[in-house]
Amino acid sequence: MIRHLKDWFWIRPRELHARGVLGINRRNGDFVLPVNPRSHYPRVDDKLFTKRICEPRGIPVPKTYAVIEKQGDIRKFVELIHGQQEFVIKPGHGSGGRGIIVVARHDGSTFHTPGGNQFNLADLRYHVSTMLSGLYSLGGQADCALVEQRIICHDVFQSVAVGGTPDVRVILYRSVPVMAMVRLPTRGSRGRANLHQGAVAAAVHLHSGETFGGVCKNRAITVHPDTGAPVAGLQIPYWDKLLAAASGLSDALEMGYIGVDFVLDATQGPVVLEANARPGLAIQIANRQGLVPRLRFIDAQPPEQLAPPRRMELVPALAAIP
Amino acid sequence: MNARRATPWVICALLFAGVTGMGLRRHAEHQLQLTHGDTLWRLTYDVDFRAEKSTARVRVAFPNDAKTCRVFRQDVSYAGMRAERLRPSALPSRELGFAASRGEHNFSARFDIHLSPRARFRSSASDTTLTADARAELLHGTPALQTSDPAVVQTLQKLRAGAGKNGNFVQKVFEHCRSELEPGDPALPQDAAAVLQRGTATPLGRVRAFVALCRAAKIPARLVTGFEVKEALQAQPHTWAEIFSDKAWEPFDPENGFAGEIPHTFLAVRHDGGDVVRTTGAKQVHTGYSIVRLPSGLGAYRAAHRSLLGIVDLTRLPLEMHEAMMLILLLPLGGLMTAIFRTIIGIRTFGTFTPTLIALSFIFADWRTGIVVFLAVLALGLVSRSFLDRLKLLMVPRLSIVLTLVVLLICLSVSLLDYIHLTPSAQAVLLPMVILTMTIERFYLASEEDSVRFALQLLTGTVVVGVCCYLILRWGAVGRMLLAYPEMHFFTIAVLILIGRYTGYRLTELFRFRDFLATKPGPDSPPP
Repeated sequence: MIRHLKDWFWIRPRELHARGVLGINRRNGDFVLPVNPRSHYPRVDDKLFTKRICEPRGIPVPKTYAVIEKQGDIRKFVELIHGQQEFVIKPGHGSGGRGIIVVARHDGSTFHTPGGNQFNLADLRYHVSTMLSGLYSLGGQADCALVEQRIICHDVFQSVAVGGTPDVRVILYRSVPVMAMVRLPTRGSRGRANLHQGAVAAAVHLHSGETFGGVCKNRAITVHPDTGAPVAGLQIPYWDKLLAAASGLSDALEMGYIGVDFVLDATQGPVVLEANARPGLAIQIANRQGLVPRLRFIDAQPPEQLAPPRRMELVPALAAIP
Repeated sequence: MNARRATPWVICALLFAGVTGMGLRRHAEHQLQLTHGDTLWRLTYDVDFRAEKSTARVRVAFPNDAKTCRVFRQDVSYAGMRAERLRPSALPSRELGFAASRGEHNFSARFDIHLSPRARFRSSASDTTLTADARAELLHGTPALQTSDPAVVQTLQKLRAGAGKNGNFVQKVFEHCRSELEPGDPALPQDAAAVLQRGTATPLGRVRAFVALCRAAKIPARLVTGFEVKEALQAQPHTWAEIFSDKAWEPFDPENGFAGEIPHTFLAVRHDGGDVVRTTGAKQVHTGYSIVRLPSGLGAYRAAHRSLLGIVDLTRLPLEMHEAMMLILLLPLGGLMTAIFRTIIGIRTFGTFTPTLIALSFIFADWRTGIVVFLAVLALGLVSRSFLDRLKLLMVPRLSIVLTLVVLLICLSVSLLDYIHLTPSAQAVLLPMVILTMTIERFYLASEEDSVRFALQLLTGTVVVGVCCYLILRWGAVGRMLLAYPEMHFFTIAVLILIGRYTGYRLTELFRFRDFLATKPGPDSPPP
């Protein structure tokens, strides 16, 4: 009986090792520290920088309508957006979705949100001004405001996303995709797709793009806690395009171990949201699989196999590792 | 060079450096010998008293470093009492104050003293100038040293009549006190006037008469209490006098007949006269002193000549610095503890040094007051956060408002504690406040950027690790060892390197990934 109790409360290190689960110490010591140069971290945290890398390389990102960096530019806001009816304003160094304004339609003086609220130009200017002063940025530092295309979420996630936009995260090692998951917001996470705050994640099969597995708050699950709909069996559209974009971004950022977050637009397909230099490890629980065997597989490849033209050939093999 | 290959070499080098350092130090200590004529002694105080009021106070004079004596070790125990910092005085004595609550109390102290006849130690206070205020103080009459009493004035006139210059005059006063006063009954009053009138005195009365006469003659004089250092299970304090002439203090002991010079075995403990232990609000005070000679042992030989190697010897520093040094030397162990908790157990904290700093601030504060202040400030912080959120303020002004509220709350709390007679000391308040403000700032940032739950998790972790660090910092035995052998921290660095290279699972991960046991291996999805 004691043995059964013990099994329920924790797992032995030997068993975790046998399943190839990557612990945080090993992730930092053996993978992140050696291949992620510290000087490149600011690139990853900066949304504007990430966008500026993606655009020339043809990696899809939400279209930027305007970048407001100085308080003086706020007066010219309406001209800057060139008549776009719907747009999103977000802080360049924000986190967790704070400070984001979504505008569904406007007439130059009154702005309407998708939820039905409205505010006037003065309110908008004030909000952007506080954004520039760093109210929503990490560490309170001065920031810029990005005005960009509003993403209409693809309807494949309709039954499993509550209150927010789901995103797809792909973890890449040496620019080869190793594991992927889709993060689905819940009521508990207040519409944010952040696993720490209670969102649900479903694993995505690396080769086919179909969802399976599932995790919520570090426990394995199979249905969405709010809607009860199964999280497995959904097919992510344009999956190959997504993997290629992720791989290209990883090359451009020159980071060896990285997570790239995508949002699926109804018309455009996957667009890059942001990159993450220290992606979390709950993706393993969603996949019911450890990362270590896949990372080792990549380490065992000759350099020419890891070069851009041939690296995607590894994906089916990676997906099949037990 | 590959980190994996370099690590064992670095560890070996550190271990080697540590062991070699310790070995060399021990060897050097064995080589030094006690100079001929120097002696080592242990002086023990044992004070019992009963506090009637809840604000009973005890002031105890401690022996201090002087030219012929050096206190090289000190152990004080005062269970159930609270130490108070007294304002530093210009006198060369050291005094410590304690506040006791109602009931029976015992205070004991042990001092290991190195006496040298050749006057080769550096005195911890330089006592060669007398300010006008101090001079006036030392010429003033007191109830026991009446300078304007007729008996004193008459004796003075009589002595003046027969004396020449000032130096001679002091000798005449000395001779008078030494030979003209007969040994007397202790039951009779022993203040200067009564003694001179009666013509009989105890040793204390004799020296009081001497000091009163000198003061009446406008020569700054003071009573010095101390011990004659010789083996005695029941040592009695002895009082002699010092007068200030020609930019120096000259000792005079009319009881034993020493004028201008006293033996190096006279250990002065208090320079403003009276008893070694002074109490207010305490009854049934019993004081016991004992002096025992110590065999020549380690810890006392610090050579008189300065050598550069003396810099690596921390025990050479005066005793007051020892406590501060021991605390500083224990801080890296706090860092080690934080590293173990984070990397091996998996408990995360705000920052790397915050738990150690919190523990440090609790060392100076009384831990009960400290916890109350900590919780109150945290509660205030959380409450004010919800108000401040509505004002939509920028980060730096917002946090400064929190600091202002914290300051106001702390001042109010200190005042409240004083009102109910639990006054904390100044240090108890200042250091914790600085550290608490830092912690609150991080707590807010964490609760905003992640979630309140996560911030509380980090806070709990910080407190848990902080408590462990506190226990380490209180570990006097290890502190003393580190003071004697600071190179032991090479071992600390070696352990930290090993922890830094640890890539195994954290204990919390064994809990976090427990579902891997229940689920079958491999993705449960159709084959590609």
